[in-house]
Amino acid sequence: MQLTVEFGGGLELLCNSVKIHNINIETPKGAQQLAMRDLLVWVQNNLIKERPEMFIKGDTVRPGVLVLVNDCDWELSGQLDTTLEEKDVVVFISTLHGG
Amino acid sequence: MACNGSNCQANCHRDEDERAARSDDVSSTAAVDGSGAVCVKCKANEPIPTAAISRGGEVGRFCADCFRSNLFAKFRHAVTSNAMISPADNVLVAFSGGHASRVALQFVHDMQYKAQKNFDASRDRSLPVFGVGVAFIDESTGYPITSSEMDRVLGDMKLMVSQLSPPTKELHIFPVHSVYSEGSRDSRERLKELLDRVSDATGKEDLLVHLRMLSLQKIASDNGYNRIVLGSCISRFASHVLSATVKGQGYSLPADIQYVDARWGVPLVFPLRDCLAQELSMLCHLDGLKTVELPNVPCSSINSLVSSFVALLQEENPSRECTIVRTAGKLTPFHFNRIPEINDCNVPLATRRRQKRSNLKLNGSISSESCCPICFSPLNKADLGSLETRQSASDVFGAACCSSCQFQILPQDSSDMEQFCSLLPEALFSRAKQSNYYDFGSLREQIQDYLLPDSETDP
Amino acid sequence: MAESHAKVQKVGGGRLCCICNERRAALKRPKTLEQICRECFFAVFEEEIHQVIVENQLFNPGERIAIGASGGKDSTVLAYVLSELNRRHDYRLDLFLLSVDEGITGYRDDSLETVKRNEIQYGLPLKIVSYKDLYGWTMDEIVKIIGLKNNCTFCGVFRRQALDRGASLLKVDKLVTGHNADDIAETVLLNILRGDIARLSRCTAITTGEDGPIPRCKPFKYTYEKEIVMYAYFKRLDYFSTECIYSPNAYRGFAREFIKDLERIRPRAILDIIKSGENFRIATSTKMPEQGTCERCGYISSQKWCKACVLLEGLNRGLPKLGIGRTRVLDKDQKKDLKQSIGTKSIASKQCGSLDF
Repeated sequence: MQLTVEFGGGLELLCNSVKIHNINIETPKGAQQLAMRDLLVWVQNNLIKERPEMFIKGDTVRPGVLVLVNDCDWELSGQLDTTLEEKDVVVFISTLHGG
Repeated sequence: MACNGSNCQANCHRDEDERAARSDDVSSTAAVDGSGAVCVKCKANEPIPTAAISRGGEVGRFCADCFRSNLFAKFRHAVTSNAMISPADNVLVAFSGGHASRVALQFVHDMQYKAQKNFDASRDRSLPVFGVGVAFIDESTGYPITSSEMDRVLGDMKLMVSQLSPPTKELHIFPVHSVYSEGSRDSRERLKELLDRVSDATGKEDLLVHLRMLSLQKIASDNGYNRIVLGSCISRFASHVLSATVKGQGYSLPADIQYVDARWGVPLVFPLRDCLAQELSMLCHLDGLKTVELPNVPCSSINSLVSSFVALLQEENPSRECTIVRTAGKLTPFHFNRIPEINDCNVPLATRRRQKRSNLKLNGSISSESCCPICFSPLNKADLGSLETRQSASDVFGAACCSSCQFQILPQDSSDMEQFCSLLPEALFSRAKQSNYYDFGSLREQIQDYLLPDSETDP
Repeated sequence: MAESHAKVQKVGGGRLCCICNERRAALKRPKTLEQICRECFFAVFEEEIHQVIVENQLFNPGERIAIGASGGKDSTVLAYVLSELNRRHDYRLDLFLLSVDEGITGYRDDSLETVKRNEIQYGLPLKIVSYKDLYGWTMDEIVKIIGLKNNCTFCGVFRRQALDRGASLLKVDKLVTGHNADDIAETVLLNILRGDIARLSRCTAITTGEDGPIPRCKPFKYTYEKEIVMYAYFKRLDYFSTECIYSPNAYRGFAREFIKDLERIRPRAILDIIKSGENFRIATSTKMPEQGTCERCGYISSQKWCKACVLLEGLNRGLPKLGIGRTRVLDKDQKKDLKQSIGTKSIASKQCGSLDF
């Protein structure tokens, strides 16, 4: 599945300062759909190059990191249970940087 | 270091100064390694081994004897300088099973035991010995505890209290749902339903705390106690400072963190306000004081988040809890944060004088606060909504609550309010009546239909 | 409560905005938990700030106002929204951007580029005051001398004064800063944790320094950081979000983390903390020391010399430790302040000073 993953608000610093990543990700075996839960694991393993604790806390994003799926706050779509589809755009923005 | 020297309100500045004056050389060696170190106070015995210390407190600098007497001195200073216990009093110690209230119970017992010895030795026997009772509130209605587990807990507790004599102490075991009048049926079910209707996890916890307080009040007034001793320690107060701040209760916060809280019918006193949690658990460990472990209920409430935050801060800086309580201690307390003046000439002059002195600093605050009928926090006048537009009695009740209770305890949907009010213990309404800002007499009349008949014991 | 909407929702299907009932909701407001669309969000976000400005009488017609602009999210959104509201509601304000160039290569020079673009995008005149011009030292030079230990103390003291000096050069009546609700809630907690009752009593005031040369105010006092970032994102505002190279982990503070954890289980906690801060019963006798002026530079100071001059003297005499830690030059209060700013690194999110003014 083709997805676009975007980092902002300073999170891009955790992945070699690259903001936009076009990725290709498989739906986990046995699962029908790819959920945000799966994407987070994938992002942490494949895109985050340093200080993962700035991005993840427990099994979800660190508080203070905003997540938008197709420009919609993931709090409206079920957070970790949000399912993803081909060509979706997922944006992670840190609110913790700068002022 | 438990406190930051001169700013601390407790008695520890005296020790602190003394220690600073004569222990520079000793404490530096003691800090470096445990071997060959001596207690900073008696300069004779070995300090308590540091391996036994979790974090903070004055534990590592004292030998066991000096540690014990230092802790007891903090307790006694709090008791005497705030006129918490007088010879004629009958005090009820609230025992939760934990370390802090176990130490409170032990210290109150030690004090009573000494008073009894003095009484027996004195010729005229003019000073009576204060009485002591113990209360345990069984909250198994609110938490999932199996009845066999509860039986074990109660058995342990009875044994422990019976060993704390002479003088003998009565143990009052009281399920929290007995806050409902004695006549009311199914009080356990009623309480369960009430708690089920509180959807916010923090609100549910806090409501139980308020009901526990109500239960203690009831035990005390039904059994002729005139003081309730609580074991809350500085660590507990520090967490309360932050959780009250987080809940928007900055105005009422100082009411809850003083040595005395007399807004209730029977005043609450906090003689362990200057002791750290780890000091208290260390004492239990050293002296083999038996505590009663209740199963811990995991919870994702604001309260538990605050507690783990405070624990983290305390780890980073062992005097953090003290600083937090000291900061909040500078907020202006309320008129009820002292033992009401006694003008009875039977009370020894010294007691009255001491009381005058401790009350002096509170004279600035004016009385007549109106309080939230659920948590009994004093209300900020600016916060009160107008009652004139309120139609039903339950609306009036809701509007009289503080904004924190409105948010986390009361139902959000006003159509559920009537039902909710009918599940509240009657005592809440009678208590609300004492708060004279609103006419709760008429409120009670209006909602009479929901209330079950008063018991005879209700004054 | 967070679990309640754990039901899987098809993205794109979406629910409708609870204000207009027409468009797809794009975010959940932390303040009200309403689900609203982008357009309605812009409208309520701007309107609420307008209400804050009106209710608190932050500005008078004809005033000259400097916006403290760092190039970061808060000040960028503030500059954008203020110029918008000024036009829409005819505040008749003369707005200026005021930036401080600390002289940090690879950080401030980049963020100043952002501010310079903002100058053009929003049509607001920009004034940059630099540490080099004001004090003769850049932060790069200072760090070369003193290392990375107390650099944030220098920077914080210098920045505060630099903003005031820039404001007086611009002859403005007020200085507005982008401090948001999360910042203020954090400051309330930090002042409790540090035992600073004097600051605790002032830190929730929306306008401060009315007795000083230039009052400062915070129009975002009640605005959630989440909404500011969402607004900047949806409006595609141009802001800079790299961390300061001399304090790279500054934003890892315990207190900030705690606030974000709280927000997750109870978003209104942030406003409740501010409310607590406003309602604390603090006796009026707990006041700050009398303000005089610095004998050397004329800046407000409670001591003979202001803090910046003490620090500068140390730098210029080759004694950079002067004014840091235990020196006789300092009186007790200053010592305490410094001890606090150094000793509490791990609890605050930004030592680099802009928080407590």
